[in-house]
Amino acid sequence: MVLRALIAAPQNGLTCPVLHPSFPQDMDSDAVPRRSFLCTCAVAAVGMIVSSSVVNRLLAATPGPEDPDVPNEEVARILQRISNGRPIRRGHVSLDMPVVAEDGRVVPVMIETDLPQTAERYVKAVHLIVDHNPDPHLAAFHLTPTIGAASITTRIKMKRTTWVRAIMETSTGEMWADYSRVRVTLNGCG
Amino acid sequence: MMSDTIGEARIKVPDRIRRGDLITVNSIVSHPMDTGFFRDADGDPIPAYFIKQVVVTYGGKEVARFDWTSGISRDPVVSFTLRAEKEGPLTMVWTDNKGATFKQSVNISFAAA
Repeated sequence: MVLRALIAAPQNGLTCPVLHPSFPQDMDSDAVPRRSFLCTCAVAAVGMIVSSSVVNRLLAATPGPEDPDVPNEEVARILQRISNGRPIRRGHVSLDMPVVAEDGRVVPVMIETDLPQTAERYVKAVHLIVDHNPDPHLAAFHLTPTIGAASITTRIKMKRTTWVRAIMETSTGEMWADYSRVRVTLNGCG
Repeated sequence: MMSDTIGEARIKVPDRIRRGDLITVNSIVSHPMDTGFFRDADGDPIPAYFIKQVVVTYGGKEVARFDWTSGISRDPVVSFTLRAEKEGPLTMVWTDNKGATFKQSVNISFAAA
């Protein structure tokens, strides 16, 4: 667990604090003082031991790698537009993509969920966002209960190595997501 | 590739369907899905030309609608599920950014018990 936190830290682009990127924003109340993380690596290591229970709880709540940062204004706008300010949480969605896509022109995508698709409660939209594509909001799939399950398979183009986001909106207003980082060898967008 | 005829489409559903089954629908339509970012052999830009919307109806009622960009691969395939609750046509209409529409249907009918 601790090792995963260490490995995950550099890709968040923060320089000194080893653990800081792992902390959600609402953790100020019960976490170690923020100052602990803003000095040397040695102090950060002490902070890690003190807060290991917090880290464990966080990793248990969000399995897999850390949620990707929002890379630019355009993706921020797209996320704001589809969520309308609601929190987008990781869970219930499975985005299955290759780790390495040799041909960016044809990259398979499979999106599945364990969320119900019934008249009372259903997934009403599935959004596919490719952070570093020329048009990041690649597709939106609007569904009804008759579809029976929010499960979509297709093939997409990818310009370069980037995070891909599959975000589902339920009829009750929840937003659930999964993320995949895909390495692209051949630019498929021109 | 099945890109000989733009708009040629196929929909595949299971051979044997019983009432209430959750079936998988596979579809493909022939379309170049040009992004507008590429150039042809003479260096001239190839204008954007892609399917921008797919509407799925079942027994005359809309059950799904997909909004696409040119980020969907050439000759778009899409698979999704359907709760086979009644007999009737399953129809897909693909619309491209030049306004052309392409339509394909299969009949959902239940196997005798």
